[in-house]
Amino acid sequence: MTPSFTSQVGAVVKRDLRRQRRRGDVLWITIPFGAVALLLMPLAVGTDAGLLQRIGPGMFWLTVMLFGVLVTVGRASVETQAQRDAASLLGLDPAAGYAGRSASAAALLLIYEVIVGAIAVVLYDIEVIGIPWLAVTLVLVAAGLGLLAALGASLVNSDSGGSALVPLLVAPLSVPLLLGATQAYEGLRLGSSILEWMLLMAAVVLSVAVVGVITARPLQES
Amino acid sequence: MQSDIPSRRWPWFAIGIAVAASVTVAMLSPADAVQGELVRIMYVHVPAAWLAYLAFGVTLIASIGYLLSRNLAWDRIAASSAEIGVYFTGLAIVLGMIWAKPTWGVWWTWDARLTLTAIMFFVYVGYLALRRTTDDRRARANRAAVLGVVGAVQIPLVHFSVVWWRTLHQPASILRPDGPAIQDPIMRVALLIAVIAFTVVYVSLMVKVAELHRVNDAAQAAEAGEHHPVAGASVTAPGLDPGVGNV
Repeated sequence: MTPSFTSQVGAVVKRDLRRQRRRGDVLWITIPFGAVALLLMPLAVGTDAGLLQRIGPGMFWLTVMLFGVLVTVGRASVETQAQRDAASLLGLDPAAGYAGRSASAAALLLIYEVIVGAIAVVLYDIEVIGIPWLAVTLVLVAAGLGLLAALGASLVNSDSGGSALVPLLVAPLSVPLLLGATQAYEGLRLGSSILEWMLLMAAVVLSVAVVGVITARPLQES
Repeated sequence: MQSDIPSRRWPWFAIGIAVAASVTVAMLSPADAVQGELVRIMYVHVPAAWLAYLAFGVTLIASIGYLLSRNLAWDRIAASSAEIGVYFTGLAIVLGMIWAKPTWGVWWTWDARLTLTAIMFFVYVGYLALRRTTDDRRARANRAAVLGVVGAVQIPLVHFSVVWWRTLHQPASILRPDGPAIQDPIMRVALLIAVIAFTVVYVSLMVKVAELHRVNDAAQAAEAGEHHPVAGASVTAPGLDPGVGNV
């Protein structure tokens, strides 16, 4: 009997997270790399406390966009064609594979956001406001970036070293997420409505999810 | 054989005539009341930006065409159009910067139209880079077609950026609901001729670049031995006549 779509997604998520627990590259490489970037930025733009407090949220989201993609690149580079073929022969639905890879990437990105976000708050003295909306923003960005990065990883041929291309494909397409996240924080700070930015991010998440699921099979066949 | 030469050269003749017509009308059109002679950059900058939209729009249509039909001819059209689009987007950006320096006082400003155009440029640079990651034509076509569809979201973003965000770059000059913003009829005609000329250049380049892709694909297929007879083809399978060879 073929397992249901959700149990296939669950199996892929479990596999990816277990693999990540063994390798530990998000915890020991990507997160420290993000923290180092946050430490270096004041050396480049100046150490004025007021300036850093103002640009801090933007710098945090930028590190999420640029270094968060590495979470998925790392995963794509360790998965060989033989492993993908084996999963396919076992009857894994390509759409479930894509959804599972996106979900595991989003979970790892969320961990990245929380830890690096806490570091940013301490280093840049960022004011934490509107915690429920902030939490929604973190989840939407993690989901959107996870979906985009999983799609980018499906597009490149990691066996020929193409995984280095994933950040170039994903970073320009993640602009609406960057805009939504930074403008939502700005809106919270100024006390204005942030609904349109939330809707923008939700629309990105939904549309990338639809494209990713529809194109999962042709991409797997290639 | 002789009759083949003009058919191979007509794109170059078309490009020559189009460029000559474009330069002539740009030079004959009047100077702007505010910008003076600088306005002539418009006759190259606006058509280059138009070609960027056109080229990436064709890439989108051809990518959808490929995904629906799996015909590699669509993939060649998408790739050719993206190559030309990247070139003309780069040209539009550089010309815009040259125009911006004397009019705005800076080479670059964080204007929504400029920034999104630069992002669109890099999306399609990524598209071209993606095509280089594999030699398998079918895999390349599948992957590029998906990015060709996803990347097209940038086109309306760039076009409507001047409407959604009120920044330094002026709103659309021609394609606007309340009629063209350019009042002078000679300027309008000159810009129209420049746009037509650039479109002719695009079509001519498409013919050449798509042909180049076709020849390249054929050479790749020949190298891979796709059209060579297999060794076993010369051996006839034994007959199933029950009276023969049934030892």
